[in-house]
Amino acid sequence: MRVAVITGSISGGLRIAREIESLPGVAVFVVVCNAGKRAPMLRWSRELLSAFRSFNWWTLATTGYRYAQLRKLIILRRPLDDETSIEHLRALQCDVGLHAANVIYREPVISAFRFGILNSHIGILPKYRGRCVAGWSVLQGDTTGVTVFFIDSGIDTGDRIVLREFIPSKGWKTVRALKNMLFGCDARLYRKALAALMSLEFSLQSNDTSKGRRYYVMSKLFTKAVNKILASSLTTSG
Amino acid sequence: MDLETALSRPVQLDGCEGILHGALLTRRAELRRSWRHLITRECLESLGALAKEVESFLSGENAFCDWRFAVTFGWMNGDASFTDSLRAIALAHKVEHRPSDTGPERLSLANFNQLPRSERIEALCDRYRCPLNIGLPSESDVAEELLRQLMVPDRARLEAGKEFDADFILLKLNLVGIRAMMTRDLRYLDALNYFYELPRRSLTRLRTNPRFLAFWLCTYAQLLCTPEW
Repeated sequence: MRVAVITGSISGGLRIAREIESLPGVAVFVVVCNAGKRAPMLRWSRELLSAFRSFNWWTLATTGYRYAQLRKLIILRRPLDDETSIEHLRALQCDVGLHAANVIYREPVISAFRFGILNSHIGILPKYRGRCVAGWSVLQGDTTGVTVFFIDSGIDTGDRIVLREFIPSKGWKTVRALKNMLFGCDARLYRKALAALMSLEFSLQSNDTSKGRRYYVMSKLFTKAVNKILASSLTTSG
Repeated sequence: MDLETALSRPVQLDGCEGILHGALLTRRAELRRSWRHLITRECLESLGALAKEVESFLSGENAFCDWRFAVTFGWMNGDASFTDSLRAIALAHKVEHRPSDTGPERLSLANFNQLPRSERIEALCDRYRCPLNIGLPSESDVAEELLRQLMVPDRARLEAGKEFDADFILLKLNLVGIRAMMTRDLRYLDALNYFYELPRRSLTRLRTNPRFLAFWLCTYAQLLCTPEW
């Protein structure tokens, strides 16, 4: 299986690639796109900052060098939905794309991959679509978790779910910490999803959007309330 | 854990409802102190006879009307104008309405969004002459679209300090607030929270329609002291 990590930063992409590459029968590419359509100076300064924050320099440098040497590190100069970028993606002949960039995917980009692009969504689908769903799940007393599914051009409406993993919110003091933890599960869950896709007994689940709702960015008032709920669950769990 | 179990059994988070209710009441107390920053004296004077009622409603004790029962009636008609009905709901008064055998045809959102701005406002005011109808299950598509517009494009415009249509935003905020009253859907309430929390310089631009601004704040005040969410 040929897989491309679509990422906004080299370090972020390599982090996921390192987890995926250990899967037998998988060839991984890292496609770095200019997610915020930033000027070169700003783009590469952010890249450096992101590298500082990620795993150690030596690992990043050696992994990056290895990917670059094997021509598996592709840096797109044009926006992702530009025809030139789409041509680059098609030329890779990938089966699956892994979403790791802050971009909205249009149909031509999605269809550049044989099966589509997977997204690691930090909420349980189909009930929780949209933004801030980890916080909304806590506020409404539901279990938090992550869903890996094939995206379409809508907001979390892609109808093919690969896996759902329930990850309780207990032990996390704030919504921000909870979200970071859930976002940080992406590499592991992508690996799990790819392994599932390659297994013979695997079948996709349906994302029936009529069974859920779209959520939006949460107000400060509700965010504070969720933080209190999380803090109180810490105290009660001892 | 299977999906049905996980999403049907509330997580044991002690005092979740109490925390939410406490937060809402704190915001209500804050609104009681600060509403005059939004509705200035000039604004209040422009409301005429309505001014005193608005003033005492926002500054007074917690008052709310439970409109959930209205959902059982199906489509409702009334003789009052849209603005008069909105005023009655916002100030927790009785709304004259009678159940109707038939409702209007389903609103095509694609057509609605292509209408010029003034016709969109007119279409909503005509359809929701009895504004309680926005809370009916049959209107969920329209309500979802109004919520989406508020929380995505309108919010983005306001946050970026760009020009926005105050009349239309206030109309949407009022309708979304009424939907929250009737359905107890926290997302609709949170849209009002979010807009209330926007920087004051954005909110003061809503003063161009003092009547709808006052109705929105009164509806919001009711939602904040509504006990069951």
